[in-house]
Amino acid sequence: MREKTLEAPRSLSLEFAGKSRRENLVLVMLAFVLFFVGALALSSGAVPLSIGALIDGSAKGLEITIFSEIRAPRVILSGLVGASLAAAGAVLQGLFRNPLADPGLIGVSSGAALGAVSMIVFGSALDLPDWIAIYSMPLAAIIGAMGVTFFLYTFSNYYGHFSVVTVLLVGIAINALASVGIGAFQYLSDDAQLRSLVFWMMGSFGRADWITVMPAASIMLVSILVLVRQSTQLDRLQLGEAEAFHLGINVKKLKRLVILVSAGAVGAGVALSGIIGFVGLVVPHLVRLLFGVSHRILIPGSALLGACLMISADLVSRIVIIPSELPVGLVTSALGAPFFLWLIARARV
Amino acid sequence: MREIAFCFVILLAGYVDADCSPAKDPSKIAIAGGSITELVYVLNRDSQIIAVDTTSNYPEQTSSLPSIGYVRNLSAEGILSLKPTLILGEHDMGPPQVMKQIEKVQVEVKKIEERQSAVGIIEKFECIAKILNVPASETEYLKENLLTYVTKLEEIRRVGTARPRVALILSFIDGSPILAGNTTSGDGVLKMIGATNVFSDIEGWKPATRESLLSRNPDYLVITERGLKAQGGMAGIEKNPALRLTSAVKDGNVYALDGMALLGFGPRTLETAIVLSEKLK
Repeated sequence: MREKTLEAPRSLSLEFAGKSRRENLVLVMLAFVLFFVGALALSSGAVPLSIGALIDGSAKGLEITIFSEIRAPRVILSGLVGASLAAAGAVLQGLFRNPLADPGLIGVSSGAALGAVSMIVFGSALDLPDWIAIYSMPLAAIIGAMGVTFFLYTFSNYYGHFSVVTVLLVGIAINALASVGIGAFQYLSDDAQLRSLVFWMMGSFGRADWITVMPAASIMLVSILVLVRQSTQLDRLQLGEAEAFHLGINVKKLKRLVILVSAGAVGAGVALSGIIGFVGLVVPHLVRLLFGVSHRILIPGSALLGACLMISADLVSRIVIIPSELPVGLVTSALGAPFFLWLIARARV
Repeated sequence: MREIAFCFVILLAGYVDADCSPAKDPSKIAIAGGSITELVYVLNRDSQIIAVDTTSNYPEQTSSLPSIGYVRNLSAEGILSLKPTLILGEHDMGPPQVMKQIEKVQVEVKKIEERQSAVGIIEKFECIAKILNVPASETEYLKENLLTYVTKLEEIRRVGTARPRVALILSFIDGSPILAGNTTSGDGVLKMIGATNVFSDIEGWKPATRESLLSRNPDYLVITERGLKAQGGMAGIEKNPALRLTSAVKDGNVYALDGMALLGFGPRTLETAIVLSEKLK
């Protein structure tokens, strides 16, 4: 593989020509794993359910409701949030050519948090009609995520020609500003609001509900597909911005697209689940260590593996201290970090 | 027509406010809220409790029951797996999305209203007694018992002319005390015994600066036992820069009480408030 890329420009273009057989195999395998993890998550939980009984119609009303209204939206949301965070992480690491980039870095998470927190504190004062009130928090979170990302984009574009370093530095400043806002809202909130806020920040999929999951799921799904389509261009970008430009890539347009779409995907997810760290940063590295660095496998692979990891983490959080639950962020880190360390030790990177 | 609609709304609102109607089947109860758990024990219906939340830590026996997590962070499937016939919860149980999920499964859920006053506790007691269908023959004696505390508290308020100036501390963050402002349960308790909350002009539980504590200079400090322990006991309080220069600490008028007993607004709050008022004389 490596020898080929070194041969000549002609073989370089061959490399970009399409997915190799091995890459396809890996993705199919990951899709199978995702299918099994999903089925396992759907069939296990605090209330014993049998998928068989649900299919042949012998399940009772309570079981059907628990399956369709509580468990199914939850598994779908956790899978999509995991996929969005991991795919966005993979893409942003590629774009910034920085292994430490993750969705938190470009301010998406803190922007979403700022939006959601403002709604927790001021939502009741707005006196919104019921049908909007359900969507008010996710909407505010998405607006927050998009707003912060848009600001990051225009600011670094205007003052720093949108170089990678400016974006990273502006990202740090924006995160600091967003935490000022969150801190201010925490101070303004009353006792009950403060406690809602703390639990929202911890992250959970327990609040999943079809009416809010469906719109968010559509945004995440479309965004992931858009991100996957950028893989060839991101591969070329790894050669350097100037080189990518000479390979016919509109680097500026690519940056804009990738940042805004990542913000949409992560914002929509974070809006419903709260902040869940670790996945966006680490899953892309897992995929690199396991399957290779090409974005054609990295982005879809991260999305699939991110979904698997998040669904399993949520499953563990649901079943480990029945009838109560662990915060899911705790589980993602507890499951992922040791595995990650083991991989680093094995690969000696 | 509009008047009729208006009346209907009022009626409906009244009904929702005081949903103390008897539960269809109170045989297996999951409780989210420490004061409710205490009241169900007072009503001798503890054999019907199948699970409690983490704020229900009194009486001791509750620790052997399955825990459904924190009152504001419940899990729908977790609770439903215990197959409760009734879920009794504090006004702030949640999150709301989870409560909606539970409603879909048609398990009866009752939220108990909270008013942070002595009478509010009696109302809570009566409401739960009605929901659990406890006959008047059983409740009467218990209610009498609680009412004697209420009368005593009224007397304390009436007799006490020199209103003690108090600051109530819940806990500490980095050494600075979190104080009971207006609309908190701590403020409710102080009102109950006719004491003056020197921080009644701030809203909610808030951290206080050294200067604000010195300028208000409370004569008494009331601290939760847990808060006192976290600061290293009385010795720690005497060293605390925010507190050590207040009259309360200089004169040794610092009192620690069990947080849930004092602030939970269950039956124990009445007793504890009386104990507190004795100390503040």
